[in-house]
Amino acid sequence: MAQHAQYSDKESVPPASRGKASRQEASRVFALAMALPMAVWQCVFFVAALAFLAVMAFWSVQNFRVVPDFTFANWVKMFSAGYFQQTYLRTFGYGAMAAAISSVLAFPCAYGIAFKLPRQAQRLVVACLIIPYFTSYLVRTFAWKILLTDNGVINAVLGWVGLGPFSMMSNLFAVMIGYLTLIFPIVILLQYFSLANIDRRLIEAAHNLRCGAFSTVFRVVIPSAKIGLILAATFAFILSFGDFVSPSFLGNNKPPTLSILMVDAVKSGSQWPRAAVVALSMIATLVAVAFLAMSTAYSREGRR
Amino acid sequence: MTEPLLALDRVTKLYGDQIAVHPLDLQIEAGEFIAIMGPSGCGKTTTLRMIAGLEKPSGGEIRLRGARINDKAPWDRDTPLVWQSLALFPFLSVVKNVEFGLKARGVEAKERHKRSMKWLERMGIAQYHSRPVDALSGGERQRVALARALVTEPEILLLDEPLSALDAYLVVRMQAELKELQRQLGITFCYVTHSQSEAFAMADRVVIMSQGRIQQVGRPREIYRAPANRFVASFIGANNMITGCVRDVGDNKAAIETPFGVFQVNRSPGQTVRAGDAVTLVISADRLSIGQDDVSGPNCLRGTVIGEEFVGAVMTLHIDLGADTVFRLQLQQHALEQLDIAQGQQVVIGWKPEHAVLLPES
Repeated sequence: MAQHAQYSDKESVPPASRGKASRQEASRVFALAMALPMAVWQCVFFVAALAFLAVMAFWSVQNFRVVPDFTFANWVKMFSAGYFQQTYLRTFGYGAMAAAISSVLAFPCAYGIAFKLPRQAQRLVVACLIIPYFTSYLVRTFAWKILLTDNGVINAVLGWVGLGPFSMMSNLFAVMIGYLTLIFPIVILLQYFSLANIDRRLIEAAHNLRCGAFSTVFRVVIPSAKIGLILAATFAFILSFGDFVSPSFLGNNKPPTLSILMVDAVKSGSQWPRAAVVALSMIATLVAVAFLAMSTAYSREGRR
Repeated sequence: MTEPLLALDRVTKLYGDQIAVHPLDLQIEAGEFIAIMGPSGCGKTTTLRMIAGLEKPSGGEIRLRGARINDKAPWDRDTPLVWQSLALFPFLSVVKNVEFGLKARGVEAKERHKRSMKWLERMGIAQYHSRPVDALSGGERQRVALARALVTEPEILLLDEPLSALDAYLVVRMQAELKELQRQLGITFCYVTHSQSEAFAMADRVVIMSQGRIQQVGRPREIYRAPANRFVASFIGANNMITGCVRDVGDNKAAIETPFGVFQVNRSPGQTVRAGDAVTLVISADRLSIGQDDVSGPNCLRGTVIGEEFVGAVMTLHIDLGADTVFRLQLQQHALEQLDIAQGQQVVIGWKPEHAVLLPES
């Protein structure tokens, strides 16, 4: 009998748990309210702006004035133009090159920090890698200009030992230096964090299975840190692909990249719709690259 | 004298000024199942890692078949280890995990696959060969780890608490399988564990370690019946201990005076005690007999039953003897039923002189 009584009690919701439910409701509303400003920000400054960009790509320009319209002329004009195609491929190549160079150069650094330094020193180095971002990227690029120009600091020093002068400005070398200034510390940091999280026992297990120190890097360390390494390279690509500062100030706008093309389209003839076409193709490219990179990063051998 | 398969000679390990392993001597014979057992932090895992070359000894010498291996890199020795965490490579499929060690030795792809599949079949998990390791259950992963370590056909296999992550029912099954596997392969297993039941169930010889030192080496029975010191006596099984001092020494007997009375004990051969020596009497919980009013024999004590634990067919009674001393007594459930003993009841317990172990106070 006593058990029966207990069961019937459970069927009606006791007042205590009703109070709990309304408290949960309140805390959910509170959490949503806290998240709201961010959502509004994203809507106004990202989604709305992107939508406007997409709409404007179909507008036309008459007498140097942008007029609402619905025409594919901008798309046809840009995609069929040889200079756009070439610039697109070049920019893509620059981005890929910057991602590759920074990944390869950063790996030994990140590896050394993660595996060879004591904990305390690791924290110090991580802090040091953030410091470059205290100064504006533009300022750092101008600093490179002073170093790299024909009668700049580096050529002066090389001159004393009878070398040079080397032409280090307005070429691919200078553009890559600029890109690396932007991305190198970030790539090291992202690689470092993925390397630092590797289960050390996996490395010991590889050694125990007679895999030497060097081949363990390729057979265990890199596969284990794969997600982070791909993420770092993707980040490097995204930042360099869209960068305007390095190709403009260190590359002297020649040859142009997509971001320069965009600026030119606006400056010479108010071609905002064509600039929008360039911008949208860049966004589409980055989305595709990011998606491909992530699906590669998270792919695994073996079937479930 | 023939050299054992593996010899540890005054091997020491220091971390800064912390001593993890005191100078340690141990010989491991070919084909032996040896278990190194002790509480956490006793140096058992450090010892195993030194054998595998994952830690460098601070002193002493490790010899494999007579050859010093102290300075050999871990990848230059043939001492595969099965990790507590298993340390399977999550980015490789099951069969690729097993192939790993063969690939490192330059075995070509087809042969590698063939040999790995053979081991997976032997472990009964060949059907999962193409799956990622994290799609397998704990017991299956365990087998992958074993196959990966054994595929290179080593002379010695090191195991570092490999069963501690498994469910209790699986542990018992894997123990039997491991023991059988070792018997079939005829190679040396060196098994580190904190679990007495694992060590005693599988090992030919057990090494008991505490605080970086070996406390006792022997067959499970020897250690169980004749603990070498107080640590081993309290760590192993259910032992009762009383301290006292030697009153009389006979031919192969001694009388020990304790706060609970004078007890007769047999001396083990070669054991020298003198009258007045401080000693500890160790009586195993399953060697005690119990009665309501009296038990036969020279050694008996009065006490009160204050608690009971029931595990399977064995009953453990807690008997308060006064003076903050509680004895544990184990007997079969059916035997207890006939005695009709209840909690709070006054009882008499006793033991035969040959069933107590005399330990000199160190």
